[in-house]
Amino acid sequence: MSHPARRGRRKARARSARRRAQRKRKPSALAALTSGALALPGLAGSAAAEGLIDQISSEYNFSRYSEGSIPASKVAPGSERGRYDIDMHQVHLAAPLGERFALGLDVVHESMSGATPWYVIPGDDGDPVQVMTGATVEDKRTDLLLEGKYYMDRSLASLSGGVSFEKDYFAINGGLGGQLDFNDKNTTLSSGVGVSIDSIDPTDSAEFPLRPDHEKKQSYSAYAGISQVLRRNVAIQSTLTYSLGNGFLSDPYKEALVLGEPVADSRPDLRNQIAWLSRYRHHFSSLNATFHTDYQFYWDDWNITAHTLEVAWYQSLFESFRLIPSFRYYSQGQADFYANYYDQARSDGYYSSDYRLSPFGAISWRLRAEAHFRTWEIDWVGSFSWQRYLSSGSYALGKVSAPNPGLVSFDLYSVGLTTRF
Amino acid sequence: MRALVASLSLAALCLSGTGCAAVKPWERDVLARPDMAWEPDTLEAKRDAHVHYSKEASLPGGGAGGGGCGCN
Repeated sequence: MSHPARRGRRKARARSARRRAQRKRKPSALAALTSGALALPGLAGSAAAEGLIDQISSEYNFSRYSEGSIPASKVAPGSERGRYDIDMHQVHLAAPLGERFALGLDVVHESMSGATPWYVIPGDDGDPVQVMTGATVEDKRTDLLLEGKYYMDRSLASLSGGVSFEKDYFAINGGLGGQLDFNDKNTTLSSGVGVSIDSIDPTDSAEFPLRPDHEKKQSYSAYAGISQVLRRNVAIQSTLTYSLGNGFLSDPYKEALVLGEPVADSRPDLRNQIAWLSRYRHHFSSLNATFHTDYQFYWDDWNITAHTLEVAWYQSLFESFRLIPSFRYYSQGQADFYANYYDQARSDGYYSSDYRLSPFGAISWRLRAEAHFRTWEIDWVGSFSWQRYLSSGSYALGKVSAPNPGLVSFDLYSVGLTTRF
Repeated sequence: MRALVASLSLAALCLSGTGCAAVKPWERDVLARPDMAWEPDTLEAKRDAHVHYSKEASLPGGGAGGGGCGCN
């Protein structure tokens, strides 16, 4: 090995030691600002901290998701009004393996139950009303994701692979990501690719003849991003993400009313999606607080455009507490083949009354509280959060003449515990 | 929003080599704060991305690793 190379390794070890020392003073202060990844199914590298993992850490979060009932005026007579509830357990484990390698494991388990929107019909007064699934849907989903990271002096490579299974759905995904720092680590470029191969086996297809027996789809994704430190307390990031969906992109459990008769939800078997996300972080030392704002522009070739704006205020209180109020606004247009119901047959044969392809806006707010403490040589963070999400045609940026009656509202409560050894 | 546009313009200047002064490694104490991370609440961010992906047409804005649907 040459002398310059040995010097490089010594410098890297010294940097590593400095980082460890800094971490002992501020246990969770990972150098997260180098992150540029935007995670999609199959993409390596989450949007979480891409700083060096040099401690064993574990995180657990339990969430209860509960959708509000559909108002009586928006549901078909005799149809179920109650909607979906989900209990979600999330675990994240991370550990360094030697100086340059780290492994992370994510496990998610969800239990879901409730009724979901099926199709839309004209109501007695002419306004559209929702028909819900008759029987209660019950399912469980388990998702495993393993990620390896290899750290070099100025760069990082990551490789991930995962599976997700439900009674009627199986997906396998993989991804490759990379990150390069330069300009004294004030600038970071990141990019990655991912693939997900999904298999769909809808339940009760013998009972419901419009449901397919078995379908497949594939998703391919790629992103490229840049992060820039502007000042000692200000940083920005901008990431462009592209995704191509191919195969069965319809919802096997939904139908649409065409000339008074229900038909299977039917969408194009190709979808190109582009999202451009920009983020801004600004710390105010005098207030001991940090301001976050994220804006995303989205477009796809089903003719949907969407805008998302999120703001959050991270307020540190005393030495050990943090309070985080945040607000999110979202607005989307409709897919060009979407309608509440169809008075004419379409020449392309595409039909969907899914509220997720309808024009609407949504507002949500969240309050999160954290307590940080250290005991038995372990750093602990306990958290609680509550979030409310409301969607409506009247919240959209453009005028919506006939909003989908199945638009969702939900509450989300969660508790979490993080430990670092 | 105005601050965001101004910052993006400043970043373009930085990258062109004509703009902002670089922050030195020993000046990164504020940048290393957990609340300056792009996503400080990692698990909640992943969960929210999955929920939004299931209820909206847009791609998740960040955080949803893994695959699967759970999309009812």
